[in-house]
This record gives sequence, structure tokens and C-alpha cells, in this order.
Amino acid sequence: MIRFDQVTKTYPGHPHAALDQVSVDVEKGEFVFLVGSSGSGKSTFLRLVLREYRPTSGRVYVAGKEINRLASWKVPRLRRDIGTVFQDFRLLGNKTVSENVAFALQVIGKSRSDIASLVPETLEMVGLDGKGDRMPDELSGGEQQRVAIARAFVNRPMILIADEPTGNLDPTTSVGIMKLLDRINRTGTTVVMATHDAGIVDQMRKRVIELEDGRVVRDQAQGVYGFQN
Amino acid sequence: MQLRYVFSELGQGLRRNLSMHLAVVLTLFVSLTLVGLGVLFNQQATKAAEHWGSQLQITVFLCRADDSNPACAGEVTDAQRTEIETVVQDNPEVADYHFESKEEAFEKVKELLGPERFEGPNPAATAEDLSESLWIELKDPEEYQGITSAVEGLDGVSQVRDMRQVIAPIIGSINMLQWVALGTAGFLVFAALLLVGNTIRLAAFARRKEIGIMRLVGASTLYIALPFLLEALVTAFIGVVLAAGALGAFMYFGIEQRGTDQLKFMPWIGMEEYVVALVAVGVLGPLLTVIPTLVLTRKYLKV
Repeated sequence: MIRFDQVTKTYPGHPHAALDQVSVDVEKGEFVFLVGSSGSGKSTFLRLVLREYRPTSGRVYVAGKEINRLASWKVPRLRRDIGTVFQDFRLLGNKTVSENVAFALQVIGKSRSDIASLVPETLEMVGLDGKGDRMPDELSGGEQQRVAIARAFVNRPMILIADEPTGNLDPTTSVGIMKLLDRINRTGTTVVMATHDAGIVDQMRKRVIELEDGRVVRDQAQGVYGFQN
Repeated sequence: MQLRYVFSELGQGLRRNLSMHLAVVLTLFVSLTLVGLGVLFNQQATKAAEHWGSQLQITVFLCRADDSNPACAGEVTDAQRTEIETVVQDNPEVADYHFESKEEAFEKVKELLGPERFEGPNPAATAEDLSESLWIELKDPEEYQGITSAVEGLDGVSQVRDMRQVIAPIIGSINMLQWVALGTAGFLVFAALLLVGNTIRLAAFARRKEIGIMRLVGASTLYIALPFLLEALVTAFIGVVLAAGALGAFMYFGIEQRGTDQLKFMPWIGMEEYVVALVAVGVLGPLLTVIPTLVLTRKYLKV
């Protein structure tokens, strides 16, 4: 589903490569944690998947497409196959919960009837049944992140990318979010989650890819946050 | 494609940035009006030049009995008249000419000023007060120097009048008006472009969250840019309509009511030329807003 083949990414004006000869293969339906300290290259990795950047060298394949060669005008179509969730939720404050989720469908031209059925269905799935008419600022942080996940998942993407989704949440709420991501993963969606949260990684026992200075220093099935021998 | 979002964004965008949009509309209005005026003046100058360019170019007045020109030694003699006619006839630049007698000149004057003033015991003038003249048509209206200098020194010639000497200053001022209008329009067009650019930057900033999400969920670039383009078109449309109105007012109050009334000898621009100016303004207006919008949305809304 996601394949990095000897990928190097250098930013202009920075001597060190953000990613250095990274080769990673993520299968369809996998759940992968991306760990490493700040500046280790996690964000660059995710941005390459989203084709916000092109790699400096090497090849990136996402959902069967080689993104180096993907024309700019085809990028939107690629992104419809990828849902994205952030630490800071990024909800639109002037829209209700339902409208926030519907927005993702409206702007890619989904029909009104599709929106009318998909939005409540997805809100129910993320546990926000009956809160569709609330405004984002009336919700708790955990609930807001559920709205963001609903928005990312409402189009049933093949890949869900989560960049520190629990970074702003307390441990109990985080567990709820992780359960939700796990549930989404069980529908067959590939989930890639960048995180600093050792507790969560240890608990979930999923594949862990650790980056350090732009290199993969560990790629472990059912791994934990730190090294474990 | 579902356009509900696009239209609600359009309405919101126009309201949110009302002062900027007003600034764009007003600048467009004034600059387009000036461009339109420039186009109208240009056509007026061309029309005047064409009109007089096709007419008899040079009139040679022959000496009268009591001519005010000291070079004239009384009434032109038959020999002098024949000599002048020969010179004109033999000049290669002359396409055609005809001789106008005092009586013919008198008829013309009567017609122009009304016959009643020249009848009765005390007429304003008689045929004897007027000059005989030669009306010369040139092959090339630009080549008037040769014939003028050839005829000017001859005995019996009182005055050589080139129609262009009368008309040139008029066409000159129209041309100057045209350049003043277009020059000022140039500055304002530049200001309009900057204003459009600023408006888009503000609008893109105000919508940066929505735009970020649209990009992430895979909205097409066109879809993201559409509200901006429609805003540009709406402001251009209002600017063009206002300019068309101002130009219409100029045509009516400036040309129809004053020009054609007071300066009857000039051929004046009319509906046809107004339509040409409208087309120019109607094309330029949308271009002025849409082109910077396309350029800047590519910059600010890059995927």
C-alpha cells in the first residue's frame, strides 16, 4: 500500500537529509507506528505519502501509484484515497460537527444523498451519535478528535494517516481514540500513525518503525516504543 | 460537481472582503472608463482625419480688386489666372482641381449664412467682395508642401489655405486627450492589478483553514480556486457595467448634446464607436481581474 524505495529527502538550505535512504514497505491493512524524536523525519515521511513533497531521490509508491511521476493535477485524486488526522484537529469553527464531516465530501463533489447517508453513519461509528448539530468548541478535545477522524474516514480511504493524534489528549481519552483507530484498521484501512506516546505503542503491540536522523533504525513487528531485547 | 459550496463561499467572500472588493470595483470602474474614453478619442481622431483626408485639401484664393494682401496688385488678370492654372495642372501631385468663380463663392456664402442677409438695397456682401479660387485635390494628402510652395509665389495668388492647418490642431487635441486618458488608465490599471492581488491574498488568508482541509481531502485545484475566480468575475462585471454607464453618459452629454450641436462641421463618433469601446472595456475588465487571480491562486493554493 505504501512503499519507500531508497528514499532521500533533502530540504533546500539544509545540509542534512530529512530522510536518508529509507526503504519501507507497508502492506494493505497494516497498522504501523512511526516513532522517533522530533526532527527524526516522521513528518517528512507522512508528507511524502501525501505527496506534499516529492522525494529528492528514490521512489515512493502510494496506493499503487508512483508519486514521483504523478502529475500535479492527479494529486487531489490520490489524496481522496488517504485520510489525514492531526494533533490540532483542524476543524472549521464556524461549522457544526455534521457540516465539518460533510465538508470533506462536498468539496470532492459527492452527491447530496451520499452525504446524507455517509455523515450520520460515520458519526455513529466514531461514537458521536446525536452530536452532529454541536459546534466544535462545545466538544471536549477527545470528541473533537473523533470529529476529525470522522472527517478523514467518511470517504472510506484506503490509508489513514495520523500525525500525533493523541498529542493533545489525556491518557484515558487517548485510549478511546486508539480503540477507534484500531476499529478503522479492522475495516481494512491501512493506518500509519506518528507518535511520541510510548504507553500507547507498548499497549497496542503493532508494527513499529523507528526513525533517527532520517534513517530507519528499527522496523519491528509487534514492537514497543523503546528498544526491548 | 456540487457547486453549493462554491456559491455560498462566493457570497461569504464578497461580504467578508467588502471594502477590498469595493476598492477593486471603483479602481476598475475609473480605469476602464478612461480606457474606454481613450478608445473613443482614438476613433474620433481617426474619423476626423479620414473625413478631411478625403476632401479637397488646398484652396488657392486669387487676388481681388481691393485685396488686403500687399502682394496683390489689384484684381487677378486673365494671364495670371491662366499661368496659375497651368502650374496646378502640370503639378504631378495634383489629382484634380476645379475653379470657383466669385458667383459660385457667393452662392455658397448665401447658403451657409442664409440668403436674406444678401438681398435688398443694403446687402452684407456682394459677389465682388469675394475671391475667385482654385480647389485642389491631392493624390496623397500628406504631400501638400510641393504644390503649396509652387503656387504661393505666383502673381495673382492672394492666399493658399490648407484645410489641414485648420484641422490639425483639432485632431492634435483629440489625440492628446486620447493619450492622457490611456496614460492615466495605465497607472490605474496597475493599481487595479495590485488591489486584485491584495484582495486574493487576504481572501486566501481568511480561508486558509478551509483551503488546507480541501487540499487534504482531495478537492481539485479548480474547485478550490473557483470561488476566487467567481469573485474576480463579479467585481469585473460590476466595474464594466459602471464604466459602460459612464461612457454612455459621455456619449450622450458630451457628444450628442454638445459636440454635434455646436461643432457641426466635424464628423462625430456614434453608436458604432461606442460599441467598440464597450467591447474593449468588456474584454479588458475580466482579464484584469481573472489573470492575477489565476496567477496568484496557483501561488497561494498550490497543492
